[in-house]
Amino acid sequence: MRTFDNADRAAQTRFLMDKARWVRREVLEAAATAGRGHLGGTFSCTDLFVSLYYGGVLRFDPRNPRWPDRDRLLVGKGHACLALYAIFLDLGMISRKRYEEYGRDGGTLGAQLDITVPGVEYNTGSLGQVAGVAAGIALAAKMDSRQCRAFALMGDAELYEGAVWEAIAFAGEHRLDKLVCIVDRNRLSVTDVVGDDGLFKDFATKLRAFDWDYYEMDGHSFPEILGVAERLKTANKPSMVVANTVKGKGVSFMENEIRWHHAMPGPDQLLLARKELGQAN
Amino acid sequence: MTPQIDMRDAFFDEIYEIGRSDKNVVFLTDDMDAFSLRRFKADMPGQFINVNVAEQGMINTAAGLAMCGKKVFAYGIASFVTMRCYEQIKVNIASMRLPVTIIGVGPGFSFEFDGPTHHGTQDVAIMRAIPEMTIFNLSDTSVASRAARLAYMSEGPVYVRLDKGAFPILSQEDEDFLTGFRVVKPLADINIVSTGYMTPIAVSVTEELASRSLDVGLVDLYRLKPVGDLFYESVLAVSERVVTLEESASTGGLGTIVCELLADHGRPIRVTRLASKDKQFVSYGRRSWFHGQNGIDRASVVNAILSGK
Repeated sequence: MRTFDNADRAAQTRFLMDKARWVRREVLEAAATAGRGHLGGTFSCTDLFVSLYYGGVLRFDPRNPRWPDRDRLLVGKGHACLALYAIFLDLGMISRKRYEEYGRDGGTLGAQLDITVPGVEYNTGSLGQVAGVAAGIALAAKMDSRQCRAFALMGDAELYEGAVWEAIAFAGEHRLDKLVCIVDRNRLSVTDVVGDDGLFKDFATKLRAFDWDYYEMDGHSFPEILGVAERLKTANKPSMVVANTVKGKGVSFMENEIRWHHAMPGPDQLLLARKELGQAN
Repeated sequence: MTPQIDMRDAFFDEIYEIGRSDKNVVFLTDDMDAFSLRRFKADMPGQFINVNVAEQGMINTAAGLAMCGKKVFAYGIASFVTMRCYEQIKVNIASMRLPVTIIGVGPGFSFEFDGPTHHGTQDVAIMRAIPEMTIFNLSDTSVASRAARLAYMSEGPVYVRLDKGAFPILSQEDEDFLTGFRVVKPLADINIVSTGYMTPIAVSVTEELASRSLDVGLVDLYRLKPVGDLFYESVLAVSERVVTLEESASTGGLGTIVCELLADHGRPIRVTRLASKDKQFVSYGRRSWFHGQNGIDRASVVNAILSGK
């Protein structure tokens, strides 16, 4: 994997932007071919996935995805699976043939992640679970004094699930410093706007009161994402990172439009999206 | 006579030994206590966590621990540790076949005066619906200690229903516990199949019937899932009439299991299902009182068998 020294940050940002563009294009093609997918919510967290896998944030080995000391990424919003499939394709963890099985009858890649796919840690589909499961992983790391961390990527709407708050209380109380929760704050659920008046009101204050560290960042700015990732390394409590994102990011007519949660582009829209995202290879 | 010990002590004493010999064993509780657990907590504080009254969080924590190679026991009241966190069990434990043992204390009407929130009469039905699950329903202390060991050795999820109080020992330690059932009274034309707390009651039923010159066999089915072919072949296939006896509701428990097996094998024999009613009991009384209300007390079972219903 490519690494960059401090003097080369601009080159790293260009590299990550290009990876993210490539991932979005692969996702678009797979979804268009299958006629199914969740493009809006996949594009909102694509830059987060790219930062984790290509920005040196996750400690993992693509040739040995079950390495016991790896960092684990658990994805709550498993409907964003296509971005991960594309990354795993790029990293050589799944074949092009398998990637193209997405959305086919009897295929091995579905609209949710499952652990038969190399690199997938958790069977997704049920929202509000990964904070708690990742807390268990962080607890095991603490018990065994291991360095591996547990990352839980969640959509903002799933924070309404009660189990998330059981995990927040537990992790704060047990000072699970290897736990990092990232919220893809794209502000749109399936049918509605997830605003700042309810659950997310004074969110930082709430989390800090539970003994968590709290960060907020632009979820599409690689320098900001990697800056926060650097600060996470010295955490002595669980960390909540709110990534402000745009649903449908990267394709102009999908951005911030609620219907692109699971809508599919028509022929003209597909051409325009391809033009905006550029070539796959 | 063998001194009787509390079933929880038999189970948790074995868990204590397992925890002592394997530092990867972690015990979680949702603030549920047991006298014999205190020793585990005192001697192995690093392996014992009270997650407080949060069953969903407990199961999720158990899943994460198990994903990292821990052998996890998660303990709570049977009704809550199954229903309150059913989705967590199904998805986060079972779908990934993680080695987590869920221990539910207080099956049936053992929480006598606490109402339907605490009655464990539906947990078997819902836990049975999880394909990967193994279910033990403990009927005496010898089964309890063996089930603790089998749960620890299991590579997948296990649900153990653990009763409170002292129980007579029904069989020898050297029995083969892998079959999931045991013949307590020799098989006859009419055989009772019972489970858990009801098995000692079934013993007294067979004794009463023997005193009236009717020999009835008795099988204790202490593993409710999976039920092996051997149970069908050696018990149901040789019975002329089967009486099922359980404290769970009639929908989805032992009676259902037996009827499914007979139907699948096309064996049309008479089955009498004795179980609790399909009802939430917002009424209060001792466990024996509930048994009378449901026709599963000793006298009612004797009558049901004699009347041929």
